[in-house]
Amino acid sequence: MGPKSLTLAQRLILLVALTVTMFPIFWIVMTALKPPTDWNAAPAVWLPSEPTLVNFATLFDPDAIKAYGLSGVSQPATPAILGSILASVSATALSIAIGLASAIGLSRYAKMTKWTPLMILSGRMFPPAAIAVPFVIMFSATRLIDTYAGLIAIYVAVTLPFSTWMLKSFVDDLPREIEQAAMLDGRSRLMAHVTVTIPLIKGGLFATTMFIFILNWSEFMFALVLSYSNISTIPVQLAKYVTATAGTLYGVQAALAVVAMIPLIVAGYAIQSHLARGMTFGAIKR
Amino acid sequence: MIPEIPRSLPLQLNGLRKSYGATVAVAGTTLDVEPGTMTVILGAAGAGKTTTLKMIAGLETPDAGQVILAGHDLTAAEPRARNVAMIFDNLALYPDRSGFDNIAYPLKLARRAAPEIEERVRRIAVLLKIPHVLGRLPKTMSGGEKQRVALARALVREPTVFLLDEPLSSLDAMLRIELRAELRRLQREQGHTFVLATPDFQEALAVADRIVMLRAGRVVQIAAPQDLYDAPADIETARFVGAPQINLVDAEWTGGALILAGQSLAPGAFRAPPAPCAFTAGIRPEHLTPCAAGQGDFDATVSDLEPLGHLVAVTVTLSAGTELRLTAPAAGAAGFGIGTTLGIAVGRAGLLAFDPADGRLIPPAA
Repeated sequence: MGPKSLTLAQRLILLVALTVTMFPIFWIVMTALKPPTDWNAAPAVWLPSEPTLVNFATLFDPDAIKAYGLSGVSQPATPAILGSILASVSATALSIAIGLASAIGLSRYAKMTKWTPLMILSGRMFPPAAIAVPFVIMFSATRLIDTYAGLIAIYVAVTLPFSTWMLKSFVDDLPREIEQAAMLDGRSRLMAHVTVTIPLIKGGLFATTMFIFILNWSEFMFALVLSYSNISTIPVQLAKYVTATAGTLYGVQAALAVVAMIPLIVAGYAIQSHLARGMTFGAIKR
Repeated sequence: MIPEIPRSLPLQLNGLRKSYGATVAVAGTTLDVEPGTMTVILGAAGAGKTTTLKMIAGLETPDAGQVILAGHDLTAAEPRARNVAMIFDNLALYPDRSGFDNIAYPLKLARRAAPEIEERVRRIAVLLKIPHVLGRLPKTMSGGEKQRVALARALVREPTVFLLDEPLSSLDAMLRIELRAELRRLQREQGHTFVLATPDFQEALAVADRIVMLRAGRVVQIAAPQDLYDAPADIETARFVGAPQINLVDAEWTGGALILAGQSLAPGAFRAPPAPCAFTAGIRPEHLTPCAAGQGDFDATVSDLEPLGHLVAVTVTLSAGTELRLTAPAAGAAGFGIGTTLGIAVGRAGLLAFDPADGRLIPPAA
């Protein structure tokens, strides 16, 4: 169905949905550009009275906000941004690498029972809070607490069921005969998967990577309970913009949120053409 | 004295078995394939055709038995070590590679020089009449073109055996008949060894040197096409091979007389069972000849007519209620109509005797 075939009513519904979805983003961007007087003014200020980049400056220079008469914040957001990049990129790469191998193994070589999906996905049935405390205790004993290695290990453990299951569905959709043809044509089993299977599920691989990255990037609770002073991530840093004198620094929070959105938007835009399925159309009869 | 080294067959299967859980897919297949021949594995869906081919290719691991290729036991070898080409029922072209790259892929993996690859791909493309699709992706090709690209990808190598898993099933009827003749011609001219799996008995009869009839994982019969048709091993095979289907009639051999549908007939050229017995008579439609009422072995009433082009399939009902189907040349059937009474002459030589208990063919007395 092309856009032209939408009726007026459908367009209106889409417009409403879009407005509801986009409003928080509009609000956060506007807040990031507002001076402190506008942050929680009543009645609400929709557009900044005097647009300013001071909130963004405060992310990197904690004293910048003093220009508006507020006490500075205790630390810059730079370590948290770098920490988020380190933890999310590493954990996503590991989760996808292990998940991809598991997905191909499960799809092509494993004898699945009806309990297999449950065994893989059951870790996701517990609320994160239920497993956070045991992790804190285990990590204290193994000195993994307050380290990026520990945080990455948890992120991999938590996202692996998702990456495995999502990637498995893409491998399942690909006829195994294509990689079997490559094996007969002279590839080893491993290389047939590397050179044939994986390129053909590229779209699914990108989509899954994006999904896992977002999970890791926005994760708050594990990062909060596992970080003391050595490590930080953006969501943890967001919670720290509270001062005794001025309350919550909404503008600075909004600025960090905007910074946090940028890589997701850029990555999503860059891979959007790969997100559509359809790589295998035409190769096989159905 | 130097012992004579036996010439090794391209393919031998020795007691090959495979089960999936409680389901037996292949129940002990033993088969010798002669070089330069077309062996057809014939069977209904689920008979174990694909599993057999995949075990030969090394894509499935047999539970027991051996796969011997060119004299070497390669049962446990990786697919690439077997020098076997396979055409899958879904063709399995590489969707992200052009026609040329699909066909060139095995040569590239074998590290052939670029000019040689170019030359061989072009040659095979001309042979299969597809030079125009070399630059195109599979999704832009017609069904027949994809089929030919898949064939070319197999033929461009020089494998010990070609395995073809229902290679023509995706095509419409006309193209299928055209391509199967071409496939057969190629195989003969190039002297290749083909093993082709199909559920279509007409395809099997048309192209095979030898047919392996497979049912529920078991080899029921291995025979030349005409032998399979003329002397099927059992009733089910007789019904599977031939259209319209073979007629099955209760019969008895008394030692001197043939009793068919309750009527005693002179045995004539009937190749009788060695001892008197009750049996199920199998009569192919072409062995029943219509004639004037009262002139044949039975009188029967025409209950249905189905034109087949040059033949007409006629369904008749005997007075005892037995229904028979026969085929007659369309030109000679002009006088029949539904309700007409005909005489039916039974061709004794084509009469097959099956054991009613187990359905197996009773071999005639020597």
